[in-house]
This record gives sequence, C-alpha cells and structure tokens, in this order.
Amino acid sequence: MASTVQNTDVKQKDADRAVVVAVTSREVFKSGPDDGGEILEIDESHLLLKLLHRVNERLEEENPEEPLLFDVILITTDSQRQQQSSRIISSTKHYGLEISRFCFASEDDFAESLQTNNVQLFLTTDRNEASQAAQKGVLSALLDQRVAISTSDQLRVMFCEDAVIQPDSGHTPSFAAQMGEMRRRFRLSDSPLSFILVTLHGGRDRCADSLLTLRSSGLSVDEAYCLAGAPRGPILSVLQPHFMISISSSGLEK
Amino acid sequence: SIKMSEIKLSEAASTDDSAEETDWAAAKAFFDNLKTNKPRPVSLPKPRYAVTIAVSSRTLFNMVAERKIYEDEGLEKYVAYQQEHESEPLKPGAAFPFVKALMTVNARLRELYPDSEELFDIVLMTNNHAQVGVRLINSINHYDLTIERFCMTGGKSPIGYLKAYMTNLYLSKDAEKVTEAIEEGIAAATMFMPETEAETKLSDTQLRVAFDGDAVLFSDESEIIVKKHGLDSFFEHEKEFENKPLAQGPLKCFLEALGKLQRKFYEKNERMNCPIRTFLVTARSAASSGARVLKTLRSWGLEIDEALFLAGAPKGPLLQKIKPHIFFDDQMFHIEGAKELGTISAHVPYGIGQKYHKGKLIEQPEKKK
Repeated sequence: MASTVQNTDVKQKDADRAVVVAVTSREVFKSGPDDGGEILEIDESHLLLKLLHRVNERLEEENPEEPLLFDVILITTDSQRQQQSSRIISSTKHYGLEISRFCFASEDDFAESLQTNNVQLFLTTDRNEASQAAQKGVLSALLDQRVAISTSDQLRVMFCEDAVIQPDSGHTPSFAAQMGEMRRRFRLSDSPLSFILVTLHGGRDRCADSLLTLRSSGLSVDEAYCLAGAPRGPILSVLQPHFMISISSSGLEK
Repeated sequence: SIKMSEIKLSEAASTDDSAEETDWAAAKAFFDNLKTNKPRPVSLPKPRYAVTIAVSSRTLFNMVAERKIYEDEGLEKYVAYQQEHESEPLKPGAAFPFVKALMTVNARLRELYPDSEELFDIVLMTNNHAQVGVRLINSINHYDLTIERFCMTGGKSPIGYLKAYMTNLYLSKDAEKVTEAIEEGIAAATMFMPETEAETKLSDTQLRVAFDGDAVLFSDESEIIVKKHGLDSFFEHEKEFENKPLAQGPLKCFLEALGKLQRKFYEKNERMNCPIRTFLVTARSAASSGARVLKTLRSWGLEIDEALFLAGAPKGPLLQKIKPHIFFDDQMFHIEGAKELGTISAHVPYGIGQKYHKGKLIEQPEKKK
C-alpha cells in the first residue's frame, strides 16, 4: 500500500498553483548495502533537485509570495526502497533537500500514486517506469544520464518528437502553459530555466510548426535545433538537456 | 590545431553507425513521404561526408535595421519586433549569393551523382532566440533555399555546434565568434556587404571563390618577415626557401574541400563546364615570390584555377573583373578596397596582419568579456 508523508522541514507549496514534479528516490540516493546506517549516500543526479530549487529561489527573488513554484515529491517505485522509508526521510532532512512530500510506493502502485498526488511531471531514467506512468496519463520525461556531470547552472528542458514515450495529449499543453508562465517571470537572458526544441528527423517546416504549436500553448521556447537526420549524439552532448519531454509528431494538440 | 577535414576522417572511424543510420533513414523517410509540390531534397547528406557551410542569420539575411533595434532598445524589444514582423521575409544578406551558388553546385552534383552524399550542406548557425527563428524559417521558405538544418542557440556560443556538425566553413558578422572558430581549427571569416552595387550580376551557373594567399591559404610566416624586416628581406627569403612548402593557413582545408568536389566534375568530363572556380589573388609578384606559393599548393596536391599576382597593386579593380561570390583576405585594408568596388568580402582574422593597419602597428583593444 502506498503512503504519502509531508516533509515538515520544508514549507508546503500552493496546492492549486505549484507545478508538482516527482523524482524517483533512485535518482537521489544511491542504493547502499543494508547496513542499518541511517543516512543514505547521495547520488550525483541530485544536481537536478538543486536546479529545480534554484528556479524556485529566483522566482521568490522576483516575488516572495510567488505561488507558481516547483513542488518536488520524492517517490519510491520498488518495494525494496519502499522499505527504507525512514532512512529516506532522514537522509533528505540531513542534506536539506527541498522535497515537500515523500511517496512510498512499489512497482505495482507507483503510477497510481503519481495520479493521486496530482503529479504534473514525472522524472526518471527508467523507460519502463516512464511508459507505465504515461499510460496512467501522467506526463513523463526521461532524465538525461549526463545530468550528473552537467556543469550548467540553468535547468535545461528539451522537447522533441522522439516517440520513446508516447505523450499524453491531455496533459502536455497545460504543462507547457504553466512552464511558459514560469519562464515569463524571467527575462530572455540570465534565466535559470531554458526551454529547447529539437526536431530530430523533420525539416524546417516541422520545426516551425512545433515552435508555433508550443507558442500557442503558452510556451515560447528559447532555443531551437533542427537536425533533419543529422546524428543526434554530437549535438545533444553540446546541448546538455537535463530531461526530454516527448511531443507527438503532429504537435502537442491532437 | 586540428583541421576539420582531419576530424571528419577520424570521426568516420569511430561513430556509432547504427544510431546514425537510424536518424538518417528516418529523415530520408520523412522527406520521401512529404506530400508537397515543391521539389525538396530526396536526402540530406550526413555531416561526415558533406562540405558543411554554417552561415549566421545576419550574413544570410540583411538584418541591419533589426540589429539597431537590439542595440538601441534591448533584447526583449528586438525579439518582439521580429515576432510582429515574422510573416515579412527578410532581404538577402552578404552570404546570400554564395548560398545560392552552393545550391547550384549541388544541383549539378545530384545530376551526375544521384546517390552521393558529397554535397554542400548549408546550416543556419545563429545565437538568435528561437522565436526569431519563425521569421528566419519563413524567409528561407520565401527564397526557397535548401537549408533544413539549424541551430538557434538563444544567446549561447555556437562553437560547440560548429564542431558537432563538422563544419568546413563558418561565416558570421561577429568577429569574436569568427576568431574563436579559427582558434578551434574551423575555417571562418567575418562577412561584409559591398558598399556599391556590383555593375553586373554575379554568375548563377558557377560558384566563384577568391582567396588571398598569405595568412589565408598559407600561414602568416612570410607576412611576419615583411612586417618585421621589410620587402627586400621578404623577397630574398622567399627565393631562398622557394622549394620549402609554406605551412597551412586557416582556409586551406576549405580550398581542399572545394577541390574534392571539382574533381567529381572532372571525372565525368565536365572540366570545361565545372560549376566551381577558384582564384588566388595575392599581393606577391610572379617574378620574385610567386613560385613558392604555386609549389606549396602543388605539394599539397591542391589546384587553384587562376593565380593572380598583383605585385602590390590594389585588389579591388581585379576583383571587380573576377566577380567572386566571396573573397577571403586577412587584411582589413584589402577587404575595404574590395568592398568599395562592389566585391562581397570576408575577413579572416588570423595572423600578424591583425596587429597592423596600412603598415602601422595598431593598439590592441581590451578583449570584450
């Protein structure tokens, strides 16, 4: 049975306006030996949490009462980690991570827990998990493996038509609208948040269509790359996105 | 520093072929399935086989008025202006005739070698904001240019992307970016619009490229001798070392890439009708210092179609007759002379020539942060 616990060390976010992002505990804490020690070792991927936190800090600099913040939930997605709930909570508090809630679920019910917690974006490195969540209508994005070594202090969110995870048309436009609004809190340059469109296979007209579709959903992306079949590896290693959101080849709206 | 052609050869050996094939095959399928009346390319060349030319938005199109808005009113007003006018195509810029000429060569190559990927691939490389991109794409559509690949970096440096595309030549209006590219081993030049309208149109059947010699195709080693020890020493030195090839300059590899494409026409008996023609326009004189240059080219296995030795005479009038789509020189003095008489010029910020203007040592400004 899944359970949700608030982190009493962290101020809770506005339930109506905050953008709820779920990150798996696997990305934050290394699975250590079961030696009974209290604190888990932190994984380099927690850099992502730092970037989400930094966006929140900058938003609150512009407006201390800002309700449109990232609301981060830490979720366990397998029964083994589900057993380590108290260690996860104490480790989170030990490192002072800005996580508002914990959700302790297993393989069988994590996708449902994402739904009940109104998660708007689920971040994971595991494709199967992402697919399962997407099937339950939760927008999922693959964390780039390179997030651990990225030197950027800017959260870089990439949209592309890679059909690894089927997008859910019901949620992506509204997520884009929220992201657009959040992005507009900052100027065009010196933003802690950057949105990137990558067109992998189509040509310039496909890219223009996606630019305009995202714009009409409320999100004006900052950067756009059209590869038209060029190998993606070299470009992506310069681009260094932190995670990738799939948009369908016909745009966000069906 | 490593030259791009060397990088292309070594990359070819180590690239993950299957992932690359998937990307390329999917793109080919995309274009094959396009239901459109406009003739679109059946396949885009893979970067490792293509001669990749990266052009900035300000060299491809005339964005002088828009640039002024950016400088006077800031980034937000500039992007808003571009968005408001995004259905209005931009006017052609300095690199536009060059790009059209590249397309002409591609059409001829496709006729002779329908399956080859040894073509020009034109990439738009701009640090413009992506929202400006809509106007850029609309403008590309308006002129029906074959540009399908682009990077709109939203303010970030293009250098990494130039390398990722294995760029053979980068053209920009921004001298700092061009200098950085050259330092990274990428042939690059800062483009200038001519001040006067050329009297007659440029060729639309043949790509014509003119190069200065020293510090462009060749290193600046001989120019250093002129600047430091004078012309007489220079002549003596060049005669003495006539048979020692000069070291490479930043645009040598681009000339090499053009030569490879020219040979494809020769192999099909099209030498008389070759749509690429190259020119060397040098202040050296044929009698005293010209031999070393020709011998160096020969030692590199490179050909140049016409070598013009000016013996110090101004380049402007001769370039008026040649009518190249682009003329590369390392000295601003020659660039200005060419511009005044209607030649599209591209400054190569390399070597000792950057420290001098009209023979005088210039104060170096503080490097901008």
